[in-house]
Amino acid sequence: MKSVFLLQWQRFRRAPVMMLSFLIMTIIFVALLAGNNPAERPAILAYADDSLPESEAEDWVASLNKAEEFNFQLMSEKDVREAVAAGDAPLALRLMDGNYRIVLAADDMGRFVLEAFLNRKYREELRFQQVEQQIAGSDIRTEVAGLMEEPPLQVTTTTLEGTEEFQYDNQLQLLFGMTLFFSVYTIMFSLMKIVEEKKYGTWNRLILSPVGKWEIYLGHLAYSFAIGYFQIVTIFILFKYAFHFDVGDRFGAILLIIACYTFAIVALSMLVMGLVSRPQQLQAVVPIIATGMAMIGGAFWPIELVNSNMLLAISKILPITYGLDALKGVAIYDRSWQELSEPISILLLIGVVCMGIGINLMERRTY
Amino acid sequence: MLETEELKKVFKGKTAVEGASLYLDKGESVGLLGPNGAGKSTTISMISTLLKPTSGDVRLNGKSIIKNPSEMRRILGVVPQEIALYGELTAYENLKFFGRIYGLSGKALEGAIQRSLELVGLAERQKEIVKTYSGGMKRRINIAAAMMHEPEIIIMDEPTVGIDPQSRSHILEMVRQLNHEKGLTVLYTSHYMEEVERLCDRVYIMDHGKIIASGTKEELKSILSSEETVWIELDRPYPAFFKDLQSFKVIKQAVETEKGIKLILPKGSRILGEVFQASERHQVEIINVNVQKPSLEDVFLHLTGRKLRD
Ligand SMILES: Nc1ncnc2c1ncn2[C@@H]1O[C@H](COP(=O)(O)OP(=O)(O)OP(=O)(O)O)[C@@H](O)[C@H]1O
Ligand SMILES: [Mg+2]
Repeated sequence: MKSVFLLQWQRFRRAPVMMLSFLIMTIIFVALLAGNNPAERPAILAYADDSLPESEAEDWVASLNKAEEFNFQLMSEKDVREAVAAGDAPLALRLMDGNYRIVLAADDMGRFVLEAFLNRKYREELRFQQVEQQIAGSDIRTEVAGLMEEPPLQVTTTTLEGTEEFQYDNQLQLLFGMTLFFSVYTIMFSLMKIVEEKKYGTWNRLILSPVGKWEIYLGHLAYSFAIGYFQIVTIFILFKYAFHFDVGDRFGAILLIIACYTFAIVALSMLVMGLVSRPQQLQAVVPIIATGMAMIGGAFWPIELVNSNMLLAISKILPITYGLDALKGVAIYDRSWQELSEPISILLLIGVVCMGIGINLMERRTY
Repeated sequence: MLETEELKKVFKGKTAVEGASLYLDKGESVGLLGPNGAGKSTTISMISTLLKPTSGDVRLNGKSIIKNPSEMRRILGVVPQEIALYGELTAYENLKFFGRIYGLSGKALEGAIQRSLELVGLAERQKEIVKTYSGGMKRRINIAAAMMHEPEIIIMDEPTVGIDPQSRSHILEMVRQLNHEKGLTVLYTSHYMEEVERLCDRVYIMDHGKIIASGTKEELKSILSSEETVWIELDRPYPAFFKDLQSFKVIKQAVETEKGIKLILPKGSRILGEVFQASERHQVEIINVNVQKPSLEDVFLHLTGRKLRD
């Protein structure tokens, strides 16, 4: 196993460009995209249209600002429109009676985040208003707020949607999403050496030697794991210390999650290679899998913004979904080990299942 | 020392090898000959424990190797048909790795590398990256890699395809030496008759997955002892003339090539007069006619009605 493992490093040193390019691309993407967006609350210009009296508009803005996610600033319609037209603000908010519109100058990623936020807030607020109208005189707001602080029934849910308030951290979303996304390439392409060995006949030389078949597989798997793990950890360390990204204080937990995620992707690669046996086909299939998985699993934009039930259902079988969930769980929400154990054990389960099926498929083809 | 019994391999309903029985005695050099797709590589893979036969058995010194391949693998060197090397590494690094997986290390490993490199005559160029080698040099390292653990039996699958004549004769001479001087048992696969005629004591001829003839070179040629080969050299193909010749009752086989026509017929057929008459009828210009002793190539032609290479 050791010789097979070391051989892969020797081969990597001779032709490192492709593997390193994934590492470098991640760094460039994250640094460029995150650099544009400072971590402070984004300011959103807002104006009230004729259907909404000025005083009510002020109430709305105050209530929206309470969530401390965006910094809404109420201005006159003319000023807002000018700012948007001049390109000073990519988007703005138009407040109406019980409703809102987002005014968009250009397509902006932030729009989805804003929309999700407003959607939730408006629904909450309108429900309160409805109840207030029906039970006149009662102070339902204070009552509900009180109950929220001291609920009569304590329910903790740790599903992906969770009970936590959705918090959007652009820097970490980019860092985690891009890193996990590009690492899929590194891991799959490095494990593709198995398929190449089978094609070019060196695999047979290994089989004929006294080295056992399991050792050969383990040598390759260990290499793939090591290079994938190394890539992710390097990037995280770089952004934590050089770019001062706030990934929380639990770096040990992050290292553990990365290990589980890397294992799951290595195993998934095995499964893919069990299904697709030719190197050229794999060259085409790997980008499809990496990109598809990243889109559905929430690596490009937060999964909280996905509404389609079908996509959400698919995301439930993708390791990247759980990898991101666990990483954000540590870095953003500071979840307990007990809560983290769910995504982590699902990652390990996906790993074991994929590895089992993958090796079986590969071995069946030999005879 | 090695024998196979009724080896059969079916790939998804397609029979690649059927009823292949052959044997190898210690120190022998045996050729396995056949056209493309005959089933040579498949047979070799089964013998070298890389492929499980659908049915039949392979025995080493009387013991089946199908359930228990380790003894066979220890004494076996396989030179695959493809270049099975790591292209981005040097020849030295490749050999070092293949020695290491056989448990060699230190002085023994270094010794084995240099011995193998000298054998194939590439000791001076061992530090070069394999990818940059010529086809012939790659083939030679491909052989050296199979020699690292000093095997007793070496199985070579078309080790000379697609290389320059110089490398080719180097390889042939090397195999002959290994066999004659070191006493290595050799199973040599090829679709070049000349190579097998030059290297091998005994020959198996395969076609369509079956062994259609076997024996020493002399035995095989004696299949044609009652026949002779007439070679008619022409300046260009004459289809009508060829058709005319084919209709002659005494001619057993007739093959047309770019340069002429080959006929196999019973000894003493006295056919030349009629051939010349036909050539006048078709206004054919005959450059040369000669009556040859049969070669293995002719044996193959006789057995299958086809040429070995098209
Ligand atoms: N893995 C496989 N799956 C399906 N069919 C196969 C497989 N390997 C070989 N065959 C088929 O079995 C037949 C024999 O192939 P084989 O490679 O043994 O021939 P060969 O004599 O070595 O030919 P060549 O001179 O071209 O190397 C061919 O028709 C080939 O298509
Ligand atoms: Mg072959």
